[in-house]
Amino acid sequence: MAGLSFDNYQRNQFLTSKNSAQPKATSTGTTIVGVKFEGGVLIAADTRSTQGPIVADKNCAKLHRISPRIWCAGAGTAADTEAVTALIGSNIELHSLSTRRQPRVVTALQMLKQHLFEYQGHIGAYLIVAGVDPTGPHLMSVQAHGSTDVGYYLSLGSGSLAAMAVLESRWREGLTKDEAVSLAADAIEAGIWNDLGSGSNVDVCVMEVGKDAAYLRNYRTPNVREPKQQSYKFARGTTAVLKESIINVCDIEEQEVEIQA
Amino acid sequence: MNHDPFSWGRPSDETYGAYDTKIAQAPAFPKMNTTQPIVTGTSVISMKYNNGVIIAADNLGSYGSLLRFTNVERLIPVGNSTVVGISGDISDMQHIEDLLEEMKTENNYDNSYVDDEEALKPSYVFEYLATVMYNRRSKMNPLWNAIIVAGMEDKKPFLRYVNLLGVTYSSPTLATGFGAHLALPLMRRVVDREDDIEKTTLEVAENTILESMKILYYRDARSSRKFSMAIIDNDQGLILKKGLQVENMSWEFAKNIRGYGTQKV
Amino acid sequence: MNTVASEYSSEVQSTPIEHSFNPYSDNGGTILGIAGEDFAVLAGDTRHTTDYSINSRYEPKVFDVGDNIIMSANGFAADGEALLKRFKNSLKWYHFDNNEKKLSMSAAARNIQQLLYGKRFFPYYVHTIIAGLDEDGKGSVFSFDPVGSYEREQCRAGGAAASLIMPFLDNQVNFKNQYVPGTDGKEKRHIKFLTVDEVVRLVRDAFTSATERHIHVGDGLEILIVTKDGVRKEFYELKRD
Repeated sequence: MAGLSFDNYQRNQFLTSKNSAQPKATSTGTTIVGVKFEGGVLIAADTRSTQGPIVADKNCAKLHRISPRIWCAGAGTAADTEAVTALIGSNIELHSLSTRRQPRVVTALQMLKQHLFEYQGHIGAYLIVAGVDPTGPHLMSVQAHGSTDVGYYLSLGSGSLAAMAVLESRWREGLTKDEAVSLAADAIEAGIWNDLGSGSNVDVCVMEVGKDAAYLRNYRTPNVREPKQQSYKFARGTTAVLKESIINVCDIEEQEVEIQA
Repeated sequence: MNHDPFSWGRPSDETYGAYDTKIAQAPAFPKMNTTQPIVTGTSVISMKYNNGVIIAADNLGSYGSLLRFTNVERLIPVGNSTVVGISGDISDMQHIEDLLEEMKTENNYDNSYVDDEEALKPSYVFEYLATVMYNRRSKMNPLWNAIIVAGMEDKKPFLRYVNLLGVTYSSPTLATGFGAHLALPLMRRVVDREDDIEKTTLEVAENTILESMKILYYRDARSSRKFSMAIIDNDQGLILKKGLQVENMSWEFAKNIRGYGTQKV
Repeated sequence: MNTVASEYSSEVQSTPIEHSFNPYSDNGGTILGIAGEDFAVLAGDTRHTTDYSINSRYEPKVFDVGDNIIMSANGFAADGEALLKRFKNSLKWYHFDNNEKKLSMSAAARNIQQLLYGKRFFPYYVHTIIAGLDEDGKGSVFSFDPVGSYEREQCRAGGAAASLIMPFLDNQVNFKNQYVPGTDGKEKRHIKFLTVDEVVRLVRDAFTSATERHIHVGDGLEILIVTKDGVRKEFYELKRD
């Protein structure tokens, strides 16, 4: 049977009871949002990835492409958000080729929720799915267990409360594109400043009806590091060469050959 | 072994006869401490501005997910320059009210300077509460609360937090519980650094608190629409506004949302 | 708990459900002490956290306790504050009892050991560092574990990002793993005392680096510097994300 293997589940459970720790997956902390506006929809994310209290990546990309005009922001286990969007992305492409139609957001959403439900939450992907298709702009979210939600503004991840506070206080019907971009970026910034699981930069992806999606990588960079106080370049020879040996793993023979043109 | 929890750790009656509680002045029941709050109050939020400090809390006492009491006052004035805002267990809160009342009485007794140089200041009230909270946690018998003390002292705003662990801290903006996740990000957009306080007027601060209470009512399932707010202003003194309501909510767009994915009707 | 090889055994919850009150929490932050020839510094970030939240961006945790001694107890903030308060009180009584005699660093250290070990079976959950000048006027740093084991050291990092900063200090203060060029690793780089300016530069770089990679470190850096002329404070902003 295709899919994940649960063969080691009982073994792992046993090892855990014997006090050996489970390997930890990267990134549970994140702030992602999605906002609808007049004539389109956009999503945004921070760029911090964490392993426990340690920052694993200061500028990772949490915005994934499912199809050219359907994008997805992911929170939860980094590997799961990437794998599940890549898988559904492939299937959407094949489905689009086979039906000779533009991919639809609801299709992606249905495929995602059915896949995630099948795995009963073991695939730790929490996604905001957004895009434009022949039926217009759409904004939805999926949880790891397979439940979905529709809304005009959504947020997910450990910084979702900070982001939602900003969205609740400033979102209104009929936002322009520029207003929506700045609102979404401000919501992500609320996560960056107030949630320790989120940090670094703001990524945005704008999807307008009848236009190509605009992926604005590092749309805001409010956390550039200041230069260090001094250089830590070591004097050559500070690390001693204690031993040097060259092993000839093969003999090299050279030989000139005449080649006729 | 007698498996009745009320007899744990005692010699069995069959072998030694009935246990005589008088021997070790032992109580008739095992000692029990608070291990979880019962009736609870949600967030307290607060911020400084250029001439004082504002603090707010709603009037709900929740019994789990039951909206049990709808008229609980969680802002307690102490003297004329301090307000104590309490979240968490309501019975523990009422005990703290008793302690504060006792402290006022002690301070008043036979004291002719009580109206001026020996009046209770916010930092005194805070120090007392922080000590009580830390001592109770160290006895493994905590008061299950998070407390914010707000006030004016030497013409400067005072704001400090203490919780059931005895952990304390100060900041230009403070919030307990859900407020720390939902309201703080909004308040910090106005006052994030110490020097932002000078730039913030009472009107701006009051609007920020009102907006934050609205967002908490939107998103905190254990909150209520009714709330109280106290302003401790350098010129106007202590103003406690009771029976306020969250206003200007927008639910218009909600009617246009259909289902949770593919539904159209 | 034993795992029995049955179809359902893996479904059994192997850890008991917690019902009792947990009297500790982790309030993050990190501290760093370095001793120079005739000075010592103790630095700490000013961020105060619980879990994923920032409680305060400026809550100092390094203090001038008097007698030219600076102290910080990093970890569970309530215990840190309680320990600091008890030591300050102890110092006051030492003055009352001994005609205002100045408390030496070694005596302060031994006193703190007693305070910590006194709660051996309900410990102060803190990593404590004190800094000052010894009886010869040389910079000195003492560091303690939560139950009172202590040692005098040239430098020590404590708290959340200690494991990130300590190797950097070994290399840059005690010149560990550095050799004199051209000696084929036979001669270690000679140890020398760093100046105050050099130390402050190292401290700032240690903290900006810890801020980059540890989520519980940031917002502000407060450095307290002890010399024979007294205690001086310096403050630098750190990133707030």
